[in-house]
Amino acid sequence: MADTKRQFTLTFMATIHPVMSDTPTRDDDQLLPNGDAVEQTPAETPARRYTDEQKYQVFNKEFMPHIDSMYNFAFRLTMDEDDANDLVQDTYLKAFRFISSFEQGTNAKAWLFRILKNSFINDYRKKSKEPAKVDYQDVETTYNSEDAESEHTVDLRAESVSDLIGDEVANALNSLPVDFRTVIILCDIEGFTYEEMAKILDIPIGTVRSRLHRARNLLKEKLRDYASSMGYKEESGD
Amino acid sequence: MQTSLPTSSSSSAKPEMKEKCDHRADCLKMIQLILDGEATDQQLAKVKANLESCQPCIEMYNLEREVKELLTKRMDKRCCPNQLVETIKSKILSFS
Repeated sequence: MADTKRQFTLTFMATIHPVMSDTPTRDDDQLLPNGDAVEQTPAETPARRYTDEQKYQVFNKEFMPHIDSMYNFAFRLTMDEDDANDLVQDTYLKAFRFISSFEQGTNAKAWLFRILKNSFINDYRKKSKEPAKVDYQDVETTYNSEDAESEHTVDLRAESVSDLIGDEVANALNSLPVDFRTVIILCDIEGFTYEEMAKILDIPIGTVRSRLHRARNLLKEKLRDYASSMGYKEESGD
Repeated sequence: MQTSLPTSSSSSAKPEMKEKCDHRADCLKMIQLILDGEATDQQLAKVKANLESCQPCIEMYNLEREVKELLTKRMDKRCCPNQLVETIKSKILSFS
């Protein structure tokens, strides 16, 4: 029975995914009506008056199909199964509580991801088991410098990484500071557009682009380390 | 946004193929926009031209595409535990 549900979920997601990727702007304004304060009752929101029955319907038809993506996102952010469980549960309960600020037929996945990301920042990031190995601010500063911005390309060949296995890629990704990890997850794994990512993360599109660019440079450095530990030798180049 | 771009770094070695790119960082940014489906037609045209004449750009394109593909296709995807699904559903029911 569970398998049937899962099957349905996956099929459903596969069906809507391309649509989402191709329509970045249609429902921009529906993510969350009033900035990021999903916990606060959005007083001046034109609340949609769903009946209880409609609420359950929206929840089941529009929110639940994304639960595997949400769980993966939570797990990759927290890197801990228990925390991922709590984070997903909190997010879905919040989503239900504020369901009146969600408009049916709009981008539910982005709406949910935004709530999850805000919950993560507010509730989990501080107590996250992730060692504070890299101060994000430091990394941001380093990679913001004009030099890093204009000159930094990682010397690596496609053939060197093509044999890497999923675990190695996952380890490389997990070793990135969480803000860099996040943009790669949203873009490359979940297929969000830059526009959607800007809404989910509450940052300008230009920042999405540059953060993604830096995140990928960092990731390639990690992948290069894995590849060279496997015996590939990179040419030393410009 | 898929376009037919050269897929192999050993694509027909024309005599005028550039061995050195003076705008690597800028080209890399455009290449990423294209692979993300976010490039303008102008950027697309420019990169397409580079991919026919600039060896470093071809290699960067292949690497970026490979890395994106690793992330898209080779990473394990977990399923949300059934128990969590059930817990959420039952908590929702007790809400109103």
